[in-house]
Amino acid sequence: MTSWSRSTCCSVLALALTCGLAAASARAADAPVTQDRLLNPDKEEGNWLLHHRNYAAHRFARLDQINRENVKNLKVAWTMALGGVEGGGIWTHGGLEGTPLAEDGFLYVTDGWGSVYKIDAHGGRGKLVWKMDPKTDKDWAGAVACCGVDNRGVALWNDKVISHTLDGRLIATDKKTGDVAWQAQLADPDKGEVITGAPLVVKDMAITGVAGAEYGIRGWIAATDLKTGKEIWRTYTIPAKGEPGSETWQDEHNAAATGGGSTWVTGSYDPATNTLYWGVGNPGPDWDHEYRPGDNLFTDSTLALDADTGRIKWHFQHTPNDPFDYDSVSEKVLVDLPDGKKLAIEADRNGFAYALDRSNGQFVWGMPFVKRVSWTKGLDPKTGKPMEYDPNKPIQPYLGKPDRTNTVATICPGNMGGKNWPPTAYNPDLKLWYIPVIESCNQITVKPAVPGESFKPREFFTGGGPKQPERITGSITAVDVATGKIAGKLETPYPLLGGMLATPDLVFTGHPSGEITAHDAKTLEKLWEFNTGSGLNAPPMTFVVDGKQYVAILAGVGGAWDKWFIDSTPELKSMQPGSMLFVFAL
Amino acid sequence: MGRTNACLVLALALAGLLAGAAGCPVGAQPMAPKADEGQKVFKEACAGCHKWHGGGGGGYGGAALSLRQTQLDRAHLVEVVGCGRPGTGMPSHKRDAYADGACYGLKKADLGQDAPPEANRFLRPKEIEAVVDYVIAHVQGKGDPTLADCEAFWGAGARTCGEYRPGGAAPEAAKVGE
Repeated sequence: MTSWSRSTCCSVLALALTCGLAAASARAADAPVTQDRLLNPDKEEGNWLLHHRNYAAHRFARLDQINRENVKNLKVAWTMALGGVEGGGIWTHGGLEGTPLAEDGFLYVTDGWGSVYKIDAHGGRGKLVWKMDPKTDKDWAGAVACCGVDNRGVALWNDKVISHTLDGRLIATDKKTGDVAWQAQLADPDKGEVITGAPLVVKDMAITGVAGAEYGIRGWIAATDLKTGKEIWRTYTIPAKGEPGSETWQDEHNAAATGGGSTWVTGSYDPATNTLYWGVGNPGPDWDHEYRPGDNLFTDSTLALDADTGRIKWHFQHTPNDPFDYDSVSEKVLVDLPDGKKLAIEADRNGFAYALDRSNGQFVWGMPFVKRVSWTKGLDPKTGKPMEYDPNKPIQPYLGKPDRTNTVATICPGNMGGKNWPPTAYNPDLKLWYIPVIESCNQITVKPAVPGESFKPREFFTGGGPKQPERITGSITAVDVATGKIAGKLETPYPLLGGMLATPDLVFTGHPSGEITAHDAKTLEKLWEFNTGSGLNAPPMTFVVDGKQYVAILAGVGGAWDKWFIDSTPELKSMQPGSMLFVFAL
Repeated sequence: MGRTNACLVLALALAGLLAGAAGCPVGAQPMAPKADEGQKVFKEACAGCHKWHGGGGGGYGGAALSLRQTQLDRAHLVEVVGCGRPGTGMPSHKRDAYADGACYGLKKADLGQDAPPEANRFLRPKEIEAVVDYVIAHVQGKGDPTLADCEAFWGAGARTCGEYRPGGAAPEAAKVGE
């Protein structure tokens, strides 16, 4: 389908009587993906060119062929079986967590081992154009991946498809042929570093985050020049000795060297100020916070970085000296309110939603989005810090925390959150923000880490471990961003492990029990459901081809849940590994 | 890397034929555990929490005990692998462990909150014995893990064993990429 002329394109569209929905017809079908196109996704509403659909991470598509009146008629249009279900290292199978990208009728999806599939979606069916298998080192990478064989998708740049592999590579693949143009080793699995997130392309750079805080890495965010494959900058999330923030590591055994702070969820970007917004994960060891007295910057923080240099412009730390494994990796959703406020909003693993002034990191509002919070009385309304936080204390006195004295503790939310990596969606018309929630508590047992003994490269360095003695459920929680209040909560029998999609009057999500559901955007009432028969662990997305709107989702449960957290959802043991793309249409 | 559709279809068809050809005789053979069966089971069922060397410690799978230091005898190890440890995160691996009182004379209802989790994949009695024999032979009572232990588990030259090589280096030949 490389030789689509503009006239052919337009006549097909005219027949479909839906020209307005399609990608801008003034552009050739094989036009390069330029920065200008990435900056203007609204000009091609039928495409989905960025991981979170736009740089502001809204995951909102202004497509309304499928709407609240007719969504009940949504049916499977086509499916495609993918690969990547094989295991490796300590993992018995891979899973699907990716967001497909769509450009002019072609889909780009990944499986858990980082194979990229280009699929022609024209004509109401899917046809594989090519598959790029990066030949990921399975035993090796699988053994040092904390939380499953995962890959959350690709980025598009120029005439290349940009992807990551679990074993730490960045790969540029020719979009037309599927041939690898070049690759670069960014992360070092020797240190327990792996890559699971999708790259973010900004101004001819690929921005990459890393995973591995459970293995004592020192986290970073890196920018690679896509024209040369060379690194432009790399910013560590744990400051080196003497750098600002290093004073928040007050131990005498160099805990910062294995301090964690991974960056494994794709961030957002504000072109007006050339600022990247990126989340930082937990400190290591996860649960023994007496090993690392001090606030442990920049773990559990929201970072604003200069996109050209990686310089940290400001930071906001959500859980200083964290004893809970409350990563703040969640995507920062950029929202402009009518009163002129420019916010970066985040749903944290610690159970609180935060709105920050994105120009300076000042706290605007915060509130719990989960039903149960045990670890703090709440946030200080001025500072946004937990009420118990005392900047003069090396060890923070959070309520009921696990530590070396209280070695077994139940915490709410549990260490998976709150909200984990599955992305939120934001409807800018309704000012409603939809959070895929894990309503949870779990039990933590602390095993004190011993300096010089406990840390071994490529082995779990967590200072204890979690257990799941009670049931975990979920909810779709809608937040009114203008007021910072919960606008609605629809409880679900299982945690939401896939993420959200918003359209003008609908919200879609996937459930680990197999159902994809559509809900009224205002009331959250369920309007449609289809059971894929396979655990959903990936976000839905929507696109247009041949003038017709489709909804797509990857099906195949993987990740940490079905290995480490399944006891809280025992019925889900019946969900078998799978690897399938589902595409729906009216 | 890049392939034409025809090539891909052919490759898939060939892969299917090969898989089928390889699959048939295996199914027809007796199910006797192979010599490395215990290590295979250990890798799939135990290493996630107890780590490859059995030393245990922390991790997302829980805070697992050290199998290198365990004092349990063979019969007790078989029992614990099969029945799990009530009140801890150690899962039961025997199918229906608490259905008929086969484990400690208890049923699931008797244990309530203390019921151990059920393993994701159940182990057949032969597999449980194989993994226990593996633990006794290669893990229990051993001191700190060595390079030989690590390579026996992960394969000769495995990069994950760099920790146990002089200087902690990975062997050059095994580096990923060019």
